[in-house]
Amino acid sequence: MASGLGGRPADDAAVRMPLRFGDDPLLWASWLYYEEGLTQGTIAEQMGVSRPTVNAYLAEARARGIVNVEISPEKFSGLSIAQSLRDHFGLQDCLVIPTEGVERPLIPRLGEAGARVIARILRSGDTLAVTWGRTVLSLADQIGPLDLKDVRVVQATGGTTARIPWTPEACASTLAKAINARAIPISAPAIVSSAEVRAMLMQEAVLAEQLAILAEADKIVMGISSLRPESTIHTSGFLDGTMQLAHYQDAVGSLAGRFISARGEPVIGPMHDRTIGLTLDQLRRIPQRIAIAGGLDKVAAILAALRGGYVSILVTDIATGRGILSAEGYREPPRRSAPQSDAPLPARMEVKKFINDPKDAVDEALRGALAAHEDLIAPVPGSTRAVRAIDGPRPGKVAVVIGGGAGHEPAFWGYVGPGLADAAAVGNIFASPPPDPIIAATRAVQGGAGALFIYGNFSGDVMNFDMAAEVMEAEGVTVRSIVTTDDIASSPIELRTSRRGVAGNVFTFKIAGAAAARGLALDACEALARHANARTYTMGLALEPCSLPETRRPTFALGPGDMEIGVGVHGEPGVERRGIERADACADLLLDRILSEMPASRGDEVALLVNSLGSTVNFELYIILKRVRQRLKARGLRVHRTFVGAYYTSLDMAGVSLSMMHLDPELKELLDHPCRSAALTILPEERITAKAT
Amino acid sequence: MPGQAQVRLETATAFCPCYRMAQITGRDIVDLFRLIALRLSEGRSELGALDGAIGDADHGNSMAEGFSAVVRATSAMTNAAPFELLMVAGRSFLSAVGATTGPLYASAMLAAGRDLEGKVTLEPADVVRLVPAFARGIAERGKARPGDKTMMDAWGPAARAATDALNAGLAPARCLSLAETAAREGCDATRAMVASIGRAARLGARSLGHVDPGAASAVIVIAALHEWLADHEAATAEGSG
Repeated sequence: MASGLGGRPADDAAVRMPLRFGDDPLLWASWLYYEEGLTQGTIAEQMGVSRPTVNAYLAEARARGIVNVEISPEKFSGLSIAQSLRDHFGLQDCLVIPTEGVERPLIPRLGEAGARVIARILRSGDTLAVTWGRTVLSLADQIGPLDLKDVRVVQATGGTTARIPWTPEACASTLAKAINARAIPISAPAIVSSAEVRAMLMQEAVLAEQLAILAEADKIVMGISSLRPESTIHTSGFLDGTMQLAHYQDAVGSLAGRFISARGEPVIGPMHDRTIGLTLDQLRRIPQRIAIAGGLDKVAAILAALRGGYVSILVTDIATGRGILSAEGYREPPRRSAPQSDAPLPARMEVKKFINDPKDAVDEALRGALAAHEDLIAPVPGSTRAVRAIDGPRPGKVAVVIGGGAGHEPAFWGYVGPGLADAAAVGNIFASPPPDPIIAATRAVQGGAGALFIYGNFSGDVMNFDMAAEVMEAEGVTVRSIVTTDDIASSPIELRTSRRGVAGNVFTFKIAGAAAARGLALDACEALARHANARTYTMGLALEPCSLPETRRPTFALGPGDMEIGVGVHGEPGVERRGIERADACADLLLDRILSEMPASRGDEVALLVNSLGSTVNFELYIILKRVRQRLKARGLRVHRTFVGAYYTSLDMAGVSLSMMHLDPELKELLDHPCRSAALTILPEERITAKAT
Repeated sequence: MPGQAQVRLETATAFCPCYRMAQITGRDIVDLFRLIALRLSEGRSELGALDGAIGDADHGNSMAEGFSAVVRATSAMTNAAPFELLMVAGRSFLSAVGATTGPLYASAMLAAGRDLEGKVTLEPADVVRLVPAFARGIAERGKARPGDKTMMDAWGPAARAATDALNAGLAPARCLSLAETAAREGCDATRAMVASIGRAARLGARSLGHVDPGAASAVIVIAALHEWLADHEAATAEGSG
């Protein structure tokens, strides 16, 4: 019994151990884990030992044969064949179901498995191409409604004879209806009488539009047809025996009405120029290609499709899979024992930082910024926390004064410069500046036309800016305050005015700066800044908390597999915590929230900001952006300008925020107005043109 | 500093002659600020941890830095009256801190300063009255209501307890003891509150179970007032006895 695994449980735990386990902690742990289904953490608490000890108990219980883990032979076989197919053909994934159905024949069971795969991989905004056949129709019949938005299902080819139930039209429309997607038909026969007819038809605008959508497919779900007499390709009237004998003797299979050889190469025959639909080249360029096919008569066709790289996810059955592997001469490599799972990484406790004295950090960083951008910004004399633009004040121009806490760099000094803000006041880390620097900044840049204060809606900023405004008004300077409220996670829509101002500030700064630079009066500048704020939406998500220079500790704890949704810009926790998801799902989460509020119609234009919360690198921001652009395209929204990078940060927080400004002609023009600052420069049109030539 | 306590019989409290010796000067007020700064500095990591749960983990630093700045600004003002020191304290706290805490405590100290305007020295009951004065200043500036899960949930009950105790004729240190207890209970009660204003408001129901950091720092300030007055009275009693 002495195990060398950290010994037996502490005495009091031994007392707690029910007698039936005969004083055997291995048996007790095994029972709790395998029979009662408790987690190792809970078991550790119950047994009064550490979690690693529980883990060790369970390992030893298996090693000693107290526990036997056995996967049923049928399932095991499916798993191992799936893994071999995946490894050998470089598939993204593979699902192999039992060949012998208990109640149902193979085709409906393959259809059901295919439906599960589609439900797993389909995402909002996807365009899914669909071929035709018994298996594909069976899939369409069995898939349930999916909670997705803006999905399009497009026919992969033109239509066929209506003598069969599984026509391309039926497959696509049934599937689209089942998952609440938009169905895009291909309004032409799959096979036309001549190449000339095809060429003429292809010029029809309706067909050209449909084919253009088909060319944008992100995913395709397809059957694989053999060329056996009873195969889909024959029954759907695509190919007759004579034609096959004359021109397609090299073909072993068919995908989307195109023919391939045993090596997976295209077989070009007289039908090629008469077929309307996806070409094999186009098919291979679709990012995810799901083939669903089974039956021993299809082994050659499936193997050919795999060899040709037309499939990235295969759904088949055990007998077919085994047949494919043996036809390929594939032998399973001997299996190694499963690798030990990695021990969890130690949580980051003290965060390393380039800091001298934490108390000096804000002033030192600001001095560095002023030195780096001395052509743009300068300190306001007599104040260490007020920054002004070099060019100014301009008499008769409305002064735009922005500000907020430090820790958001390049905000706020990064948005001071011609065409943007005239001055900025900086507070302590994540703390509003007091009234003094706001007053100093305003005095330094006001040009007799009033001042516009723009800052995020935080109680501290509101109080301090209001106090500064009172002083300026007493000095005869008219002040209007724009309190930004773009953070849609911070309050429900009915409480829009109580929302926080976050990265979307950049857009409001830009619009107000352009309005002031154009010489508009204070009233007009104020109205435009409010308009910009009302049409700007931001949603953020954090993967790691930030840490303050003073404490060098994370401001909140986030589990290794967790992400924080709707996180604030001060390292404060967000509104919801859940398991981390793939980049596309994260992007969808941000975008769906924004789109649910933004009243945009197809054809509307937006400006985008994919912003790093601090330590997330551009590499990942671009992955997020890719998905956002893909979704916006599917939604029919046009992106006028895209900004990617660290525009508004929370020290070293890892995460991203997505900001979107719903443009109208006025906002678009002001957004395009040239500006120059440390963080945002928009060149005049002519300079862009000059550069390009 | 019992030796420095000036004896001003004409302003001594009528109802309790034993406090005659406990006159409080500007120097004593600076000493009080120093104690508050020390206690906040000791509590900064604890406050930071509270704030990390629902805020940005910087409240402890803001409070400690703010009162350090108060001590720096006032320590050289050797001959200033208490009300002048409170005015300077309010302004220096604001300039050092900004944020939400800055305007709120600045308003607190300015309100207290206005109440004591013209008085060259204070009596112990005036130190007790700092609590309702601070609470009034904070409430006027912050406009928080009871139950909003803010520092007012500690300052409000403390102010009421202090005023009731003074009206009941209790000894000043006892009054602050009751105020401290009320502040602690109020602070504890914020656990069950859902933040509706301030930075924690975005958390909604997730702020449940967490003490409000502003209420927690209010407890530290009120406890320091109590501690200081109790020590002052004890020292004065010794000095006079």
